[in-house]
Amino acid sequence: MSLVSMTASVEPAEVAPAPSSASVARAGSGRLLRPALGLLLPVAVAVSWELAVRHGFASGRLVPPPSVIFQTFADLARTGELELHAGATLSRVIAGFAFGVVAGTVLGAITGYSALTNRLVDPTLQALRAIPSIAWVPLFILWFGIFEASKIILIAVGVFFPVYLGVMGAVMSVDRKIVEVGRAFRLSGTAMVRRILLPAVMPAYVISLRAGMGLGWMFVVAAEFMGASTGLGFLLIDGQQLGKPAQIVAAIVAFAILGKATDWLIVLLSAPFLRWEDRFARV
Amino acid sequence: MLVVDRIGKTYPNGVRALDGISLNVAPGEILVVIGGSGCGKSTMLRAISGLDTPSQGKVVLDGMVITAPHEQIGIIFQEPRLLPWLRVADNVGFGLEQCPKEERNARVARALERVGLADKARVWPRELSGGQAQRVAIVRALVPRPQVLLLDEPFSALDAFTRADLQDHLLDLWADSKPTLIVVTHDVEEAIVLADRIMVMRPHPGRVYEEILCDLPRPRDRQSAAFDFVKRRVLAALDRSLERAVITDDGETRAAAGGGLWW
Repeated sequence: MSLVSMTASVEPAEVAPAPSSASVARAGSGRLLRPALGLLLPVAVAVSWELAVRHGFASGRLVPPPSVIFQTFADLARTGELELHAGATLSRVIAGFAFGVVAGTVLGAITGYSALTNRLVDPTLQALRAIPSIAWVPLFILWFGIFEASKIILIAVGVFFPVYLGVMGAVMSVDRKIVEVGRAFRLSGTAMVRRILLPAVMPAYVISLRAGMGLGWMFVVAAEFMGASTGLGFLLIDGQQLGKPAQIVAAIVAFAILGKATDWLIVLLSAPFLRWEDRFARV
Repeated sequence: MLVVDRIGKTYPNGVRALDGISLNVAPGEILVVIGGSGCGKSTMLRAISGLDTPSQGKVVLDGMVITAPHEQIGIIFQEPRLLPWLRVADNVGFGLEQCPKEERNARVARALERVGLADKARVWPRELSGGQAQRVAIVRALVPRPQVLLLDEPFSALDAFTRADLQDHLLDLWADSKPTLIVVTHDVEEAIVLADRIMVMRPHPGRVYEEILCDLPRPRDRQSAAFDFVKRRVLAALDRSLERAVITDDGETRAAAGGGLWW
């Protein structure tokens, strides 16, 4: 891999400084190779474990080899179970995320913008934030029952805090000098929000959304542990109780795929709004 | 006609930054305000812009009392303050939201062409050099065609070569529509290159110390004897303004400090 990129990188420098087809090709292969680099480590670990079990160095009973996990995953997918459970979990996360984001954005924007509201509301919210959110579970079950409502609310609470903190901090730290440009151009309140504040908080907002989504996935597991008949969290518990480690790992893999996919979706959807950023890292 | 009528500014902590400044600026005049630090130059400019309200007195433009930013008054700051999320052309057109799109695009394109940045229209502000960014800031303020343009040490963050270049650009643009310019600076040469009239301020609290007419023919030659003559007059006025300020400030005779190179 490195050999290919090395020879390719030497060529265009020697041939011509102008954008040659070779340098274009190099950029293309680089775009393919760079993500592949990240796969190197997990693939190596998986292959060695597979080989270790195949050759009898390990039983693989408690830590099933990749082939068994893949088989379990495929079986779950074939029977439609995977779709059912992943769908249930995903819809819970999406609903909780939506509620948490709306509440966090609105409250964060208000407390960031108005010093009075901040003094009124923020101390209470910070106190609530100090409570480990899982501690709410018994209360939520008493209040909202054992079914969907309590689960979605728990996820929403988890999503709320990073979004609230991120939005509040971002609004408060908008550059006074830039706001003054808006004033000099006589922007009305709504125009100031639309043309100055919103774009200014966008980078921090996207980060808080990603953090919120991450917590959403964390809390859905907690929510499904507290009694569910569907969902990937149920598959985890079920796998534990019936001694099916492959099912547990398959569910974990599903979590990883879904979590990564939703995060990637946020990044993808927000990218057009963030192209102006003067960033250290280019993704 | 811009009339500044006995404006004063006292900050909440009791510091008196401005004390009864009055001045009239004719349409199309270039007034340069110069003075040591703490003499209230920027405070005065911000009061004229309507961004800050003076504690006493008022600012009147063509009979209207200015209490908030006004469409006929543009302001340029020491930093370009471009909006990083808007491309250069959209930054220039920022004050033209009300304009029909075609007219806006045409005016923005013309303005960028005028300062030699036509090829930067689709570029993000972060990709500009300091001088280019400040040029964009200048046309952004000028494109809505204000009657009065205020500049708060607009070139002080730039290197000497770029500064001279931007002074020429500014005079060029001024010649197009002849707005009133009020330029705050602490650079004596810059003052003489730009000004029709130089107002020397003295600190603690800020007051007008002396006004010097500057009617050298344009374009002005920094090397000429006449330029040098005005320069010495301004420097002398600045020295005197500082001496007296030091004495009145704390009652001690520290007059010798007046010769210091404070700029």
